[in-house]
Amino acid sequence: MNIKEYISSGIVETYVLGLASGEEAEEFERMCGAHAEVRNARELFEQQLERNAIAVGVQPPRKLKSLILSEIEIDVQKHAPNKLIIEPEKLEKIPVIRLTPAFWKYAAAASIILLVASTILNFYFFNQYKKTNDLYSQLLISHNQLASEFKIMQSKADNYASAMDMANDSNMAVVKLPGVTEHPGNRATVYWDKRSKDVYLMVNNLPAPPAGKQYQLWAIVNGQPVDAGMVDWELGNMKTPIKNVFSAEAFAITLEKAGGSPTPTPNAMYVFGNT
Amino acid sequence: MRLSTLPETNFAILSKIISLVANITYSEGELVSLLQSRDALAFNYLYDHYATALYGVILPIVNETEGANDVLQEVFLNIWRRIETYDPSKGRLFTWMLNIARNASIDLLRSKSFQNSRKNQPLSETVDWGNNYYVSQPDTATIGLHKLLEKLKEEQRVLIDLAYFKGYTHEEIAEIEGLPLGTVKTRIRNALIQLRNFMK
Repeated sequence: MNIKEYISSGIVETYVLGLASGEEAEEFERMCGAHAEVRNARELFEQQLERNAIAVGVQPPRKLKSLILSEIEIDVQKHAPNKLIIEPEKLEKIPVIRLTPAFWKYAAAASIILLVASTILNFYFFNQYKKTNDLYSQLLISHNQLASEFKIMQSKADNYASAMDMANDSNMAVVKLPGVTEHPGNRATVYWDKRSKDVYLMVNNLPAPPAGKQYQLWAIVNGQPVDAGMVDWELGNMKTPIKNVFSAEAFAITLEKAGGSPTPTPNAMYVFGNT
Repeated sequence: MRLSTLPETNFAILSKIISLVANITYSEGELVSLLQSRDALAFNYLYDHYATALYGVILPIVNETEGANDVLQEVFLNIWRRIETYDPSKGRLFTWMLNIARNASIDLLRSKSFQNSRKNQPLSETVDWGNNYYVSQPDTATIGLHKLLEKLKEEQRVLIDLAYFKGYTHEEIAEIEGLPLGTVKTRIRNALIQLRNFMK
């Protein structure tokens, strides 16, 4: 078979896509080594395949990248110390130069010139170094600031994303708790997972509880209030997994002493909503 | 200065910021030698440049989002850890990565636990990956090589599906389809040549 026929036989595509048998692959690699034409044909298809794959690719989920990079970071730290080792064989290979008296005259003159030049350069570089170092410290500070802000934003965004997930989940009952007459404008939302019976609370608008007080969620079961857990104010208006509730006609939130009460305090109700 | 020695900074965030600010591009040779010297920034570039392409390779084989996510993660870790074994004389970096991705996808496809989990899967299950709210079973018919398959003749499409997407050897396919090995080989080669012509 001549080279042209070989190239157009489909072996190039078969090999590059990883479908060649061991024997075919060995032969193809041999042909690539021996014939630039085969090599070029392979390179051409590889480039086409790469362009096509990039054009028709699919964006992976955003979170994967940071997962992968944090694994890599661990690897980087493990490998870091190896870099400073100098191989002894390389040290032995440094050439030795034989010197003559004439060489020394030139060497002396050259070294004086070099000394002067180096003093000037030293001074110059020292100034540059100082400037750069200042700049670097400033940059590091703003960098750290930026990084921590970024972290906060990212965790906020993640929280919103999972709240959105819950809101979009068809198995999730959404119970709106509007403010009672005494507290118009206050608002909270209960997400109630019908499968797992998990309850999540989103505080949309409630005044900050005074010191020593805490909001408590109640499930109303057969007309009776049942403790459904305390509201962790520190978590802000993000989801807070609370106790499981198996059945309820309504949910309500009251302001109680920190740690909660066995029964709700009368007149302390803020929001109420039927399921 | 090594990035990883900076105090109290999250490397992933830093490299993101740096890559945004610096907007670096590398030639393939530079990229390979930087990766071989364990340069994390070069890896960051590699991910940004190729993750989409490789995910498009993995997804139609695995045919399930969470499995594909696991495979992509495994593939990039393998690229990072085994970059020394990449031999430029045998082909481009992307070709090497593509084959790692395809092999890892097929390995997952064949693993017992994966096959079982697929049987038990509910019809629609939302996936909580950042801002992606797709159901688990993505519509892979529109992705990558899979889309080009439509244009092939039925007899060719079956063979490419078995060979490329299911990872069967030519011998296995000959047995499954009850065809002579030579026929299988020729049909696959012709189908690949056609697929190539459909590519951009």
